[in-house]
Amino acid sequence: MDAIVNDFTLNIATANGTGSQSANLILLDSLFEMGVPVSGKNLFPSNISGLPTWYILRLSEKGYQAPGDRTHIQILVNPATWEEDIEALEPGSIIIWNSDTKKKTVEREDIISYPVPMTSMARKINPKLAKLVTNIIYVGVVAELLGIDQKCLEEAVTKQFKGKASAIELNIQALESGREYCIENLTKNDPFIVEKRERHNQQFFIEGNEAVALGSIYGGCQMLAWYPITPSSSIAEGIIAYIPRLRTDEDGKTNLAVIQAEDELAAAGMVIGAGWAGGRGMTATSGPGISLMQEFIGLAYFAEVPSVFWDVNRVGPSTGLPTRTQQSDISMLYEGSHGDTQHIVLIPGTVEECFEFGWMAFDCAERFQTPIFGLSDLDLGMNKWACTGFEYPDKPMDRGKVVREKDVFEAFETFGRYLDIDGDGIPYRTLPGSGMDPILYRGTGHNPMGIYSEKPDDYHNLMARLRMKIDNSRDLLPEPLMREEEDSNIGVIYLGSMENSIQEIDDILLEMGHHVNQCRVRALPFHSDVEEFIRRHKTTIVLEINRDGQLYGILRRELPNDIVTNVHSVAYSDGLPPRARIYANLIDEKLKEVNE
Amino acid sequence: MSERKRERAVKLNVINQPKDSYTGGPSSLCPGCGHDQISNVIISAAWENGVEPHRIAKMSGIGCSSKTPAYYLGQSHGFNTVHGRMPSVTTGAYAINKDLLYLGVSGDGDSASIGIGQLIHAIRRNMNMVYIIENNGVYGLTKGQYSATADVGSKKRKGATNEIQPIDLCALAINLGCTFVARSFSGSRRQLTSILRAAMSHKGFALIDVISPCVTFNNNDESMKSYGYVKDNEVTLHMTDYIPHFDPMEEVEVPEGHYRDITLHDGSTIRLETISDEHDPSDAMAALSALHDAETNKKHVTGLLYFDSSKPSLDEDLDLVDSPLLDLEDSEIRPSKESLEALNAEFFS
Repeated sequence: MDAIVNDFTLNIATANGTGSQSANLILLDSLFEMGVPVSGKNLFPSNISGLPTWYILRLSEKGYQAPGDRTHIQILVNPATWEEDIEALEPGSIIIWNSDTKKKTVEREDIISYPVPMTSMARKINPKLAKLVTNIIYVGVVAELLGIDQKCLEEAVTKQFKGKASAIELNIQALESGREYCIENLTKNDPFIVEKRERHNQQFFIEGNEAVALGSIYGGCQMLAWYPITPSSSIAEGIIAYIPRLRTDEDGKTNLAVIQAEDELAAAGMVIGAGWAGGRGMTATSGPGISLMQEFIGLAYFAEVPSVFWDVNRVGPSTGLPTRTQQSDISMLYEGSHGDTQHIVLIPGTVEECFEFGWMAFDCAERFQTPIFGLSDLDLGMNKWACTGFEYPDKPMDRGKVVREKDVFEAFETFGRYLDIDGDGIPYRTLPGSGMDPILYRGTGHNPMGIYSEKPDDYHNLMARLRMKIDNSRDLLPEPLMREEEDSNIGVIYLGSMENSIQEIDDILLEMGHHVNQCRVRALPFHSDVEEFIRRHKTTIVLEINRDGQLYGILRRELPNDIVTNVHSVAYSDGLPPRARIYANLIDEKLKEVNE
Repeated sequence: MSERKRERAVKLNVINQPKDSYTGGPSSLCPGCGHDQISNVIISAAWENGVEPHRIAKMSGIGCSSKTPAYYLGQSHGFNTVHGRMPSVTTGAYAINKDLLYLGVSGDGDSASIGIGQLIHAIRRNMNMVYIIENNGVYGLTKGQYSATADVGSKKRKGATNEIQPIDLCALAINLGCTFVARSFSGSRRQLTSILRAAMSHKGFALIDVISPCVTFNNNDESMKSYGYVKDNEVTLHMTDYIPHFDPMEEVEVPEGHYRDITLHDGSTIRLETISDEHDPSDAMAALSALHDAETNKKHVTGLLYFDSSKPSLDEDLDLVDSPLLDLEDSEIRPSKESLEALNAEFFS
């Protein structure tokens, strides 16, 4: 039997609230420590305790980070999903199962079965904490079966329990118990093993939300207003956690105000209040929160108030699947609120970009005096991704056109809050408390001087200027990233967390005979390079994780007529993180359809 | 204009500003609107208190009342936000610049219906602001629908008698622990001025519910928020005087009967002169009882209902640095490069 090294997928089925997340992170971390290219995805329910949870560990020598096509090793601890988890396995798969599970057994002949009496072993170690210890037992068994380095495992345990001696001791004892059981009672008859690898560059694991939190702190965020919502809460909690270290003085006083709002409407209002007062305010939410904020988003756009909104996309519509991932808020963000609007959206695809766009969002907000959206998603935000380190902002803060000094103000020949003095669509502003150009900000129609107006010309000119202002931003926002080979006439445009599946999709397409070039959009409105990319290809596919092809819809509307018909949509979403083969198959079908 | 008139010295306030520095644009409300009287009181109170006009932030929501910031304090920045959401915008602005005097004006539709949630939570946080409700019991801009503060048995000019229980915003505020709760009447200029001046000296959330008749839709005799009705059915808890900290001699005329002086956060005083039974504004139950009696008897009780100076206001709760966040240098709000290098190193280890 040929060994299969570092190239398989584990699926761990547990119930949530049983401590399995710690066990799974220990597995992930210890593999990472060994240099094994690995990624982990947590599929969790919207529930505190007792509902099914799956954790998928993908080991891939090619560095693929999407969940694979199939499970090779199933760990079965949760009786609730027992039968369906077994049934889903392909012949030749392994199953490591808790043989103490009442009325459950594994009867398939075509799979390799490793029964482990996890519950009784755990009770022997600590009867009170048996439920938690059970999870560590399977970690020990897996470690022994796959050959995970003990030192790496112990380091991961220490990290997970942050040096808490009693917890570390208990967990290491449970790990050993799992290993011993394996040695004494099981005979390995499967090909799956892990081997240490040298990593070329230094990396660590971090969640996208934590990266956004840090980026925001380094962006000089001065006020965070938020209302808890999955999957965005860990952005706010991340900021709160780092404030004592990064934004607090010797006296224990902070310069970053955090307000837990009564709802998302209030959170949006606070962000706008902060921007109006001259500060850097932000909120973090998910689709339902953005739905609630629509009215305020229009106010910020129309009254031109800098403001930053992070949307960690989850599955909609309505409450949807609150703990699953999707890219379905694109249209809502781009055209948020009633009336004619258009918003700048920054779309990170990596944890490094989560950090970078975190600070950049404030610069954009103050430069363009408008709401800025960061669009992440549950997959990027709440799973751990390999990170090569965060880079310090490469330029000073851009505070935009704010007039703070009297002599500067007086040097203006005429001053009007909404007067386009520079011809770039961006007017100058003064701040409350300054006494300079005091105006009443409003969501009603206004003339260039900021005075209420219903005059046709005032309204028409104002809307034209706002469009020009946002239009002018497109080439100043993060440019699309492209990977192109000259001999390909097929382009694929994609965004956000699809970055983590695109290479595997590309490789599968290559096996099918399609050479494709890639273009990852990182901001809206579209950079002019996107149109050039489309022009360079006979056929362009827009790939996204939703039903309707929202990014495609925006492109279709904005592209010149002569190339619109060259662009096609491939959109698919079932709530799970993108599996490469599904998207590759859909692209293949679409290409066949186009060529017919 | 006569020579004599031109030469007459313009009266200046404590910071040498004429009253003109506190006025705004012409009002576009209906002639006789109670709201215009309140605007005039705002101008007087701010001038008399000697607040620098540009250090006031005028906040409002949507509705007739919320249009009024254009009619006073023309040197102040203001924000006419969205319907019922002025408290949250003010909260955000306050977090950035806590040194401004936030003067919010709202209406009964804005505060008792669409925005009641935001009002409640701003009170809970003890946001440092003055919050005036110009309360007329009807929606004016949409032409006269009842609002949630219309009294049971009250009848507007057109339509049926209101039978739905009103929301008493003062009772609500007292129950929420609001630290300054007063009710007044737009026609009671003296009382309203002293209450508003005191509210400006208060640190925390100061709610003033002002009955302000709508002359167009709700000023008929059957309306319990009409001029005639309020004049005849007002129960005044006490006479109110405001004695500023910078000029304790200003209005010193010690009343003959009982009185109670309450010291405000800036050292100014509000003097409550007893009229009938003495009202103790530190007693929430007494305040609620006064409101309840008034409602039972179809009366309006006015005066300083409740006051509490002991609660921390939002900025203390947030533990912010002393200077307003607005005044910080960019280098103070962006942590150093070294701090990020240290973080990276820890992550890698």
